[in-house]
Amino acid sequence: MIVIWFWGVLGLLLVLLFVALAVVRKRDTRHAEFLALLAKLKESENRLRAIIEAEPECVKLLDAEGRIIEINPAGLALVDACCPEDVLGQSIYDTVAPEHIENYKEQVHRVFSGESVAFEYRVLTLGGREAWHQSHACPLRDANGKIIAYLSVTRDVTVHKQAEDQAQRHQTELARVARMSAIGEMATGIAHELNQPLAAIANFAKGSVRRLQAGNLTHEETHSVLHDIGTQAERAGEVLRHIRDFARKRNSLPRLVHMNALIASAVRLTEHEIRQHGVTIALDLNDSLPAINADPIMVEQMLCNLIRNAVEAMTQAGSTQRRIVIRTHPSDAGGIEVEVSDSGPGMSEEVAQQVFDQFFSTKPEGMGMGLSISRSIIETYGGRLWLETAPGCGASFHFRIPAAQSLKAVA
Amino acid sequence: MIDKARASPAATVFVVDDDEVVARSLRWLIESIRLPVVTFATARDFLETYRPEQPGCLVLDVRMLGMSGIELQEILKQRQWGIPVLFITGHGDVQMAVRAIKAGAFDFIEKPFNDQDMLDRIQRALAKDAERRRTDAECIALLRRVESLTQREREVMHLVVDGLPNKLIADQLGLSAKTVEVHRARVMEKMGAHSISDLVKMALKEEQLRSTQ
Repeated sequence: MIVIWFWGVLGLLLVLLFVALAVVRKRDTRHAEFLALLAKLKESENRLRAIIEAEPECVKLLDAEGRIIEINPAGLALVDACCPEDVLGQSIYDTVAPEHIENYKEQVHRVFSGESVAFEYRVLTLGGREAWHQSHACPLRDANGKIIAYLSVTRDVTVHKQAEDQAQRHQTELARVARMSAIGEMATGIAHELNQPLAAIANFAKGSVRRLQAGNLTHEETHSVLHDIGTQAERAGEVLRHIRDFARKRNSLPRLVHMNALIASAVRLTEHEIRQHGVTIALDLNDSLPAINADPIMVEQMLCNLIRNAVEAMTQAGSTQRRIVIRTHPSDAGGIEVEVSDSGPGMSEEVAQQVFDQFFSTKPEGMGMGLSISRSIIETYGGRLWLETAPGCGASFHFRIPAAQSLKAVA
Repeated sequence: MIDKARASPAATVFVVDDDEVVARSLRWLIESIRLPVVTFATARDFLETYRPEQPGCLVLDVRMLGMSGIELQEILKQRQWGIPVLFITGHGDVQMAVRAIKAGAFDFIEKPFNDQDMLDRIQRALAKDAERRRTDAECIALLRRVESLTQREREVMHLVVDGLPNKLIADQLGLSAKTVEVHRARVMEKMGAHSISDLVKMALKEEQLRSTQ
């Protein structure tokens, strides 16, 4: 802005100078005074020139066709020109990268329409160098306010631009690596989980064949080894079931559902395990809950997972009192809150902090996917799943899900 | 085929696997060729029970809870327990296997494995262990024999090994040729060497052992 102002003032002063000269011719008596004024103007112009010459950023003037009218030494350096003759009268578009010429022309046009603009573009310098420039431009007007040139201050932003690009590339790469390693880790985890039972089955079978060939396999041994093989085959099947459950998450079909109905059906689905391990289950369900928008199968699976975990925790610890309580109530934020508590051994803080991590499991045959999947299911619905526990005080999983937007609930 | 006779009959296969069923199935497989098996659920259990005098080999899963197979191998190395380690690796553990081999593991086998392949590798590991123990025993015997020599006999031995005739040895040590003759006979006898080339081999071996110790 200062530059424009300066050029404006200079123009004005020049006009004044001519007026003054005319006056001088007519009135010789004031000749000396006008000579002094002339000298002053000359000095003023020199000072202005010196400032522009010394300006570290490129200052230049273009005409409406983009020809360079004036440029300072910094501007020459920016395009690798040796002297003003290299560029004066040349089109600025000779140095602008092809993909940015159209935009540059547009900006020049706007400046000649009286606007101030700022833009970035790629240039190919006279020295064959590639660089990014940023220009701030505004119209330069004569004494009558007529736009006579495009005045711009330009700086080299190549380093900044490269850093920006690199940051962008880095970000993309990070996201890719994170995705890949999550998938890779999961694949490795699944492979390991499947390999264990498969290796055991192979060892039991091959060991039996060798014993049969040597004629020393007893009836009892046969019975026991076949039982082991069967159990391990089931274990492999269980791993696959987990993966299928996980994959199903991707095709969710949310609709309006009632949490209490889902709890009832999850309890029905796990009834066999509950009864088998001598667990009693108490339901404390609030019947004025709003409906939620969720995929019923996914929520059911998650509830089954929480119930199974509770049953297993109490069975594993050999708890004498085995009781699960499932409680529902409206949450503060207008959603619903569900609590699944057990009377098991509870967890240390260390374990509690890891239970939601993938592949973390306290069960010898656990895959460590259940709670991690449960949490992502709840989060899909804008909710939250957390754990309240202490050693000896049982574990209590809580989750909240916001109410469905629509007020109409399904029956 | 593997030379079974080379494996010591008392050699035991030590299996460390945190998966109880897998450990049991390995025992079932390995015992089918009448090799004694001892299983451990953790690396720590193994370290507490195993004594380096026991011949055998170690079968380890690289992926274990608690101390990993690689860490266990490190400890064995620190303690200079030379029991050969056969690693079982799963899918995606190739890097781990490479690390294990670089750190001195005997061999590794990828899950799922062929039973014959597994048993062959175990036999090979046991053979290697037996071989190692035999050479270790030989080395110790050799060092003992050298230690049984007197200072003078040792000097004579070194000069004999350097290829000097008795007369020059006598001059160098300021002894009579007759005395050198006697010392030389004693050296050959104490070292159990049948010829000069025998003695040269022993002396070289001894020098090598001393420099590596």
